[in-house]
Amino acid sequence: MAAAPKINTEPTFRDIDRSVLRVMEPAGLAYWAWIGFCFTLVGIGAAFWAHQIYAGLGVTGLRQPVMWAIYITNFVFWVGIAHSGTLISAILFLFRTKWRTAVYRAAETMTIFAVATAGLFPLIHLGRVWFFYWLLPYPNERYLQPDFRSPLVWDAFAVSTYLTTSALFWTMGLIPDIANAREAASGWRRKFYTVLAMGWQGTDRQWRHYSMAYLLLAGLATPLVLSVHSVVSWDFAMAQLPGWHSTIFAPYFVAGAIFSGVAMVVTLLIPMRRMLGIQDLLTEWHFDNLAKVILLTSLVVTYSYVTESFMTWYSGDPIEQMTFHMRYFGPWGPLFWMMVLCNCLIPLLLFSPRIRVNLVALWIISIFINIGMWLERFVIIAGSLRVNFEPSQWGTYHVTITEIMITVGAFAWFLGLFSLFSRFLPIISMTELKEGIVWLRKALKMDRVKAA
Amino acid sequence: MSAIAIVSSFADDAECAHAIEQLRVAQVGDFNTFSPIPSHRIEHAIGKKKSPVRWIVLAGGISGILTGLAITIGTTYEWRLNAGGKPLLSWPPFIIICFELMVLLGGISGFTSVLALARIPTAEIAPGYNGRFGEDRFGIVVHCDEEQAERIESMMKEAGAEEVVREGV
Repeated sequence: MAAAPKINTEPTFRDIDRSVLRVMEPAGLAYWAWIGFCFTLVGIGAAFWAHQIYAGLGVTGLRQPVMWAIYITNFVFWVGIAHSGTLISAILFLFRTKWRTAVYRAAETMTIFAVATAGLFPLIHLGRVWFFYWLLPYPNERYLQPDFRSPLVWDAFAVSTYLTTSALFWTMGLIPDIANAREAASGWRRKFYTVLAMGWQGTDRQWRHYSMAYLLLAGLATPLVLSVHSVVSWDFAMAQLPGWHSTIFAPYFVAGAIFSGVAMVVTLLIPMRRMLGIQDLLTEWHFDNLAKVILLTSLVVTYSYVTESFMTWYSGDPIEQMTFHMRYFGPWGPLFWMMVLCNCLIPLLLFSPRIRVNLVALWIISIFINIGMWLERFVIIAGSLRVNFEPSQWGTYHVTITEIMITVGAFAWFLGLFSLFSRFLPIISMTELKEGIVWLRKALKMDRVKAA
Repeated sequence: MSAIAIVSSFADDAECAHAIEQLRVAQVGDFNTFSPIPSHRIEHAIGKKKSPVRWIVLAGGISGILTGLAITIGTTYEWRLNAGGKPLLSWPPFIIICFELMVLLGGISGFTSVLALARIPTAEIAPGYNGRFGEDRFGIVVHCDEEQAERIESMMKEAGAEEVVREGV
């Protein structure tokens, strides 16, 4: 049997502060070149969007019957990515899981920026974006109101609640750490952190109210995260379309969201730990646990694929069966099999403890999962639309440069924001890492954890 | 009015909690603590009631549900849309809106209540605050007058304080 991954219990509180604060020191040219590259791509994407607003949605490949394609795929993909952040920061907090302490801030930051990216796509998808507020109830002269029986209205409420609550939870966690950064900084940075720390000093009064509110926000975020992707799945499941109309969509989408989100955490953290020199804080132990979550959720996703296919066969509904036949063996069949390879087969490698702690292999697997989960959403959304009830209604979809560049711009927007954050604010929670170290040392004394 | 602040620093929360217990036995009530992490030991030693944040969050959550009901029912009656012959007030989907608003207002009230109760944002630095209390030391600041100072200093040292400093307030 392979040796247990190494758990680092050596750092003192001071070492933790120094390691995390060192990351926040002024960055070099390569960093700013990367930021410049990301935001140049964002600018190009924005220019294509501006052109789309001016010329209309005809510049996209959206044609009857495929009126939802890459934009909505991106929306679902990014909402899904967001989910692992809340899983790690809130759900694992309630379970008192100690390995989360070093990774939760990065995961939660990913959540905020992923939801901010996801939120762009319903807007980009609107032909007349300046009427986006029609989804919200507001007093108007025609007494016209949104239909609260529509899943699109549920979605507007769910995603905006998710963004707000995650941002509050993330901000609360940051306050004590920013106060630490304030003490170590000088010049304009000290003024910047002084304002953001809001006068936090770690008094007993502050901790007493803070701890209670943090626990309650975690308690509120836990059902919220499960509800948000369920609501996103109902955008599809509430429709009558074959390939969408399924009762398993909510748990299936939630499992897929956590699966893709944890894979994205791994994709971001492996290069980040090397670039920022935080190998002592983010150890093999953390990645081993993240890989186990990926493996578990991959098995749930595989089970969902099998259940979905079984129910289609068992239902005896010829229209549903034809949709699935086209999904497997139609012109877009290779996309489906690529998805199965990436989401069901490649993650099985993580049964090997050696691969779970081999960070190069783990990173490559996480990239495959990102691709596979994007494809899954595309296959479900566009793939089901193109094969409608009547063969006379069938059509196809061809992607255009506008959709590709807006998608590239959105990925750059996410990476640029995440990279900016990782240099200016603490990417690892010093407070929680200190609490985790205290717990681990106690556990080691009690021989509950074997340190290698 | 206390004229002196005695600032003691401790290497861990167990010693700090022990010192707080000693202060409470000696009936010295005018003190506050600083710590780099939240500590249940310190919280129990101080013995204050649980934070009222939980009631504020509960009130926020309930007001979210009521707001959700008001919006959904109110707008349904304002815009009487017959969707597939369903009853006008087909309420099951409204649960989703009520749930989302419960979380939203519960979360916002939790966050704002911490700001209010913890008295932040503030530009005021508490007497005796030291940057190391955010890093790796646990601190107790006792406000007392000249006569009590010596007794409290020796009490802190006996409890395991690494450093005891007397500051004028």
